[in-house]
Amino acid sequence: MTLAPVDYLILSLYFAFVLGIGWLVKRKVTTSEDFLTSGRSVPVWITSLAFIAANLGAQEVIGMCASGAKYGIMTAHFYWIGAVPAMLFVGVFMMPFYYGSRARSVPEYLKLRFDEKTRALNAATFAVMTVFSSGISMYALGLLFQLVLGWSFTASVLLSAAIVLIYTFLGGLTSAIYNEVLQFFLIVLGFAPLAIMSVLKAGGWRGMSARLPPVMTHAWSYLKEPSQNPMGVEVFGLVAGLAFVLSFGYWCTDFLVVQRAMAADSMSAARRTPLIAAFPKMIMPFIVIVPGIAALALSKMAVGYALPLKPDGGPDYDQAMTTLMAQFYPSGMLGLGLTALMASFMSGMAGNVTAFNTVWTYDLYQGYIRKRAPDSHYLLVGRITTVVGVGLSIGTAYLASHFNNIMDFLQLIFGFVNAPLFATFLLGMFWKRATGHGAFTGLLAGTLAAAATHGLTLAENKGGWLGAVIHNFPSTMAQNFWIAIFAWSTCFLVTILVSLLSRPKAEPELHNLVYGLTDIPHDPAPPWYKRPLPLAGVVIVALVILNFLFW
Amino acid sequence: MRDLRIPIGLFFTLAGLILAVTGLVTQNRAPLETVNVNLYCGVSILAFGGLMLWLARRSS
Repeated sequence: MTLAPVDYLILSLYFAFVLGIGWLVKRKVTTSEDFLTSGRSVPVWITSLAFIAANLGAQEVIGMCASGAKYGIMTAHFYWIGAVPAMLFVGVFMMPFYYGSRARSVPEYLKLRFDEKTRALNAATFAVMTVFSSGISMYALGLLFQLVLGWSFTASVLLSAAIVLIYTFLGGLTSAIYNEVLQFFLIVLGFAPLAIMSVLKAGGWRGMSARLPPVMTHAWSYLKEPSQNPMGVEVFGLVAGLAFVLSFGYWCTDFLVVQRAMAADSMSAARRTPLIAAFPKMIMPFIVIVPGIAALALSKMAVGYALPLKPDGGPDYDQAMTTLMAQFYPSGMLGLGLTALMASFMSGMAGNVTAFNTVWTYDLYQGYIRKRAPDSHYLLVGRITTVVGVGLSIGTAYLASHFNNIMDFLQLIFGFVNAPLFATFLLGMFWKRATGHGAFTGLLAGTLAAAATHGLTLAENKGGWLGAVIHNFPSTMAQNFWIAIFAWSTCFLVTILVSLLSRPKAEPELHNLVYGLTDIPHDPAPPWYKRPLPLAGVVIVALVILNFLFW
Repeated sequence: MRDLRIPIGLFFTLAGLILAVTGLVTQNRAPLETVNVNLYCGVSILAFGGLMLWLARRSS
């Protein structure tokens, strides 16, 4: 694939605009809270789209298209049941505590609700994980551009990182969020034409269904036994592992996304952020997953399209998205498509960088290194952290070179660190008896349980490093789902047990932090679409309809 | 910045114009597609950019 001058023109136009937005926002930043939390001043339509875009990194877009070609429409579970219910839960039930507690970050909420050590554990693991995923995403982008365009790995990694660095350095979280909205629209407008054309070429949904095994075009029908579907999962593992533990662990506790909602300008806006975001989230599979399925269908037709092969002879699904672009986009639109890919990468990376910034500056630096300093000092630390965070990501990108399937690796990390988290938050927010000792031991036990499960089981030759193998999973995805289930259950039980043995906080200290001791605000009868509960109802109906259509 | 819709609208207006003009003056075609992708996509993106600018203008 070679780019024409018009493609570079569009790419440069995009670079100019993201930097311009950063520069325009710069004037707004005078305090550390402006820089790290947007001063809680962003309108709801902006936070909602940023909420989606921050999660929509390049490895997500490429990985989901790859999974579409590999697993079919079942991949949409990562967007529907594996995201939407959790987004509703965080908006309706959890945001009153996050936003109402006036915490500046998720770890800070843990400090207010539990204690120092729980916050420290969460802040430290989150910081490491954030830099890691930012680096992995950067690695994926560099490798892709090297493969597809012949660009130097180092040059594309450094160029894109430099641009993210400049605009987050200038305008902080507001700049990242504003750019995420631009990036969101660009991702949709850059990839949607590809989805439409590839599906039409493959004979529409009907034509694709006729050419592919039925398991590729049904989301639920082949989940009774792991052997029925290419994911190697069954209904319980999918619903309990993905839709409950992993999804709630991510959408309800990951500061990367929660930060966007916490930047909203009112409690009502903060609660509606994930609810409004659920609508584009539900539509996203048609833009990123369906083209992958179409690519597989096209490769079975004699139209001159084939999935590229890996050195070992198997199809290289990760190239599905870019090879489709090369086949359907002429110079011009090709530039916009690649710009969209670049945009998805930047939105994911800026999300990671801004979340890392806030957690490092407020939770680790202010919490443990320098407690009382003038605000201008923390603003400076926030700015320096931006540079350090980007630098660490670049380092990680080079380290990440020997993990082959990016999605599976990310799932593994989620399993170990994120899976137990939701149990901690659930108990913390809805059971006033839960204590700091309980939360801390629960988290450690949950993470250990995750590691132990991985060490004692085997799937596709992964895991089993503890010597004895007590179970074989049909796929690493099934293994990850079950790791999550064990981690969550262990954390849940240990937290309850240790809490009952330790002394709880006095009730006045838990005001605005726990259900039952918090006034949940009721908006004075605005139109229904400005109220969280009716909005959530509409989302549920739409979700049910989608699942039935692709049953 | 007064309204985020202004820079977003401007970006897509410009990008849409570049694509539409490319579609009109060149014969760039993709291997698997015979229609003028640049023209159609360019006009749609231009329309989206215009919509954003119009919304921003209406609310100011």
